[in-house]
Amino acid sequence: MLRERLVDALGADAVKTSPEDLAVYAFDAYSESAPPDAVVLPTSSRQVCATVAIARACGVPVVGRGAGTGLCGGAVPTAGGIVVSFARMNRLLQLDLPNRRARVQPGLINLALSEAVAGAGLFYAPDPASQRASTLGGNIATNAGGPHCLGYGVTANHVLELEVVDDRGEVFSCSIDDIGYDLTGVLVGSEGTLGLVTSAWVRLLRMPESVRVWLAGFADIESASAAVSQTIAAGIVPSAMEIMDAVITQAVEAAFHAGYPTDVGAILLIENAGFEEDMQAGEAAISRICRDAGALFWRSAKSTAERAALWAGRKGAAAATGRIAPNYYTQDVCVPRSKLPQAIAVVREAAADHGVTVGNVFHAGDGNLHPLLMYDKRDRKQVAGVIGAGNVILDAAIALGGTISGEHGIGHEKREAMTRVYTTEDLATMAKVREVFDPARSLNPEKIFPRGVGCPEVR
Amino acid sequence: MTPPIVAQRVTPGNAEAVAELLATCDRTGRAVIVEGGRTLDGMGGAPTRADVALCTCALDRILTYEPRDLTVAVEAGMTLAALAGQLQRERQFVPLDAPLRKRATVGGTLAAGWLGPRRHRYGRPRDLIIGSRVALADGTLARAGGMVVKNVSGYDMSKLYVGSFGTLAVIVEAHFKTLPLPERRRAILARLPSGSAERAVAHLQALAVPPSAAWRVTGFHREVPGDDGDDGRLVVFLESTETLMERATRDLRSVLGRAGVPAATIIDDGAYDSFERVCDALIAPLGERSVTYRELGSPENALPRCTALMALAERRQLIPESITDIMNGDRYLRVSDRDALAFNTKIDAFDDELHTEAPDAIVVAGQTAMRADLAVWGEPPRTLARMHALKDRFDPRHTLNPGRFIGGI
Ligand SMILES: Cc1cc2nc3c(=O)[nH]c(=O)nc-3n(C[C@H](O)[C@H](O)[C@H](O)COP(=O)(O)OP(=O)(O)OC[C@H]3O[C@@H](n4cnc5c(N)ncnc54)[C@H](O)[C@@H]3O)c2cc1C
Repeated sequence: MLRERLVDALGADAVKTSPEDLAVYAFDAYSESAPPDAVVLPTSSRQVCATVAIARACGVPVVGRGAGTGLCGGAVPTAGGIVVSFARMNRLLQLDLPNRRARVQPGLINLALSEAVAGAGLFYAPDPASQRASTLGGNIATNAGGPHCLGYGVTANHVLELEVVDDRGEVFSCSIDDIGYDLTGVLVGSEGTLGLVTSAWVRLLRMPESVRVWLAGFADIESASAAVSQTIAAGIVPSAMEIMDAVITQAVEAAFHAGYPTDVGAILLIENAGFEEDMQAGEAAISRICRDAGALFWRSAKSTAERAALWAGRKGAAAATGRIAPNYYTQDVCVPRSKLPQAIAVVREAAADHGVTVGNVFHAGDGNLHPLLMYDKRDRKQVAGVIGAGNVILDAAIALGGTISGEHGIGHEKREAMTRVYTTEDLATMAKVREVFDPARSLNPEKIFPRGVGCPEVR
Repeated sequence: MTPPIVAQRVTPGNAEAVAELLATCDRTGRAVIVEGGRTLDGMGGAPTRADVALCTCALDRILTYEPRDLTVAVEAGMTLAALAGQLQRERQFVPLDAPLRKRATVGGTLAAGWLGPRRHRYGRPRDLIIGSRVALADGTLARAGGMVVKNVSGYDMSKLYVGSFGTLAVIVEAHFKTLPLPERRRAILARLPSGSAERAVAHLQALAVPPSAAWRVTGFHREVPGDDGDDGRLVVFLESTETLMERATRDLRSVLGRAGVPAATIIDDGAYDSFERVCDALIAPLGERSVTYRELGSPENALPRCTALMALAERRQLIPESITDIMNGDRYLRVSDRDALAFNTKIDAFDDELHTEAPDAIVVAGQTAMRADLAVWGEPPRTLARMHALKDRFDPRHTLNPGRFIGGI
């Protein structure tokens, strides 16, 4: 019945319902899984509208999906229904170079956009480490961050206008220049619970005229973190500050040669972008702070190739970790930046207490931690250890004045943890927005909002 | 139409008192007008009902300032100038620009979503806010975001309150990222001789070291220093490190020279003053005989657009003055006449004509009595139905600022 109607509307080629096809869409990069009832691969907004209308008529939910690199189960159809994959809506629709903006379809890969506009001396700033795979639609839905968000801001700061298919299968648009409530502002980061993004105007930036990449090595991750805290405290905000500990650098060097030293406890990768005149003073100030924090060495990338290699190591860190652990779980807490050393100490203790191996690779300049907790999912004890350690880290981040997700989102994974940072009133206020956009909760249900007690309004 | 008279003015001293007041008014069907420094009283619709005026001015404290984290939490009634003064001690700032910053409050600036001239560089108010606390009409106090610079735990509610003109909730507290203060600031003023404006503007937009703010001004002689050439005058505001300022100035002078702009005045002491003067001028009225409009749009055709709107005013025998924001594309048009009587006979027809040409133009400064007959918010936006739905959810009895916002919200 569902299948027939979808095939009628989108054509057989765009509808998948065989169990082996459905199994592919049961996952994202988080470990939970649940197969959908059907998967559709629309090629136009019109087809997305038709899909939502059919889902509504059949009373099944709709879950948007980009590349499935999400780390919180956001694209997993936990309540079944139709997964709408944007894989075939992956075009760059329009380039407005004089006004430095581009109109994109949601399935366009993040990196592809920057590559397409590089010739014009422009780039798209938000660069999640998953940028070779993740889509702009997924980035918009999660308000993705990335290494360079320290200097340039997160996805929300770069989205100008959205075209959205709503819960009734109708298209609407909104822009940050509209007089009236900032619908764009709440839609970005709403994880597909308020509508499906079918195209977007995004901001492009001029490439900086001058870029430096520096590498500092430290005896341990605490001193690397202290160097980051002190840099920010000195009022210096480079374009990126990323920390990797030895577990990660060793994995990276084993997987491919990025040129990271493996005999130090942690490395700090710093990028400064801007004007040539400011570079020398910037290097002097940051290197001094690093030395004072106990840096064992300071290296400056000499060439574009060396810069690219240092970054390639960072962006391949997760893949490299995949080679040393059968499974790993990425935590994504964010703390005030002066609290980094304390937060990192908690991570270390929590992992040790639970007998878990941990690797740290994270957006230190933003205070956004990513402990990768390694385990083998076939071993119940290890799974329990990871869950236990993850919980300790969450609570510690909250106690330090931080939050439970800096950039990956809440999804299915952290919905119950929302009550740890927000009161019932806070959540009920958020839920008012959901009630306006999707009163039946048919768009990506069971995400973001916790179920249960103490939250009568929040289902 | 005369706007209703406020019966009672209340100045609660903390968030809980704000919430309590709202709950009482909401229950008893009394409309609440939210006031900060009242600098933008000339904007928006006149309230359709007004029983209680809630002034946020006693909520004027910094709640947490962590210079080492580059974050600050502040109560909504603090003025922009007071906030800037506190942050300046640590050589930091929040690039929240609005007219009359000695009176304008943080909450009012956010609620109005005022789009300042430096946003092309530092972002809009929506991009600067990282957390908020609001009081809803029913007395609920709710938080969103926090004191971290990256946060995706749930919807970004703070962005919804920014620009909502006090019609969804009363902002009682706001959290911001702060920035290190630029080492150097410099203002540059220049007359624009005939035929130089187009080229000067194009060059300015393409500068490798972009100015923090740049305007082409015509008129506004009381408010903004400098004399007009045939094409008006330029006010440019540079912010950079000590070392970069030299090149920024040299490049600027050279492009102005190429555009045929002869001499420029450099102001170092009081550079920020010059910047502020233009910000203030954007809403400065001429007694009861002027209205100022704002139209947003792409920087590329900001100047021709401004010229077209000025011609429209001249055809109606109104005196046009303009401020064009070169980096962002905004054009501000103040129309006036020699006396209020003459002005009143022309403004309604002009308003219609202007909105035929520029449907999205809004009024940013005009007498309340006069505004009732103007399309102060321009054409209703395409999202109006959803706005009404949100309003009905957040403030079902329309207790907050009734009639002040677009579409009668
Ligand atoms: C190795 C690795 C590194 C990563 N690094 C980062 C990083 O640095 N920063 C960061 O922020 N994240 C990072 N992530 C997480 C992930 O890549 C991001 O969350 C990304 O934005 C997800 O994009 P996607 O296309 O894969 O979306 P998906 O995983 O397919 O979907 C994510 C969410 O978006 C919704 N969605 C997708 N498309 C749409 C649409 N068109 N309309 C409405 N809703 C939609 C889905 O329903 C789901 O809730 C990383 C992940 C991996 C595996």
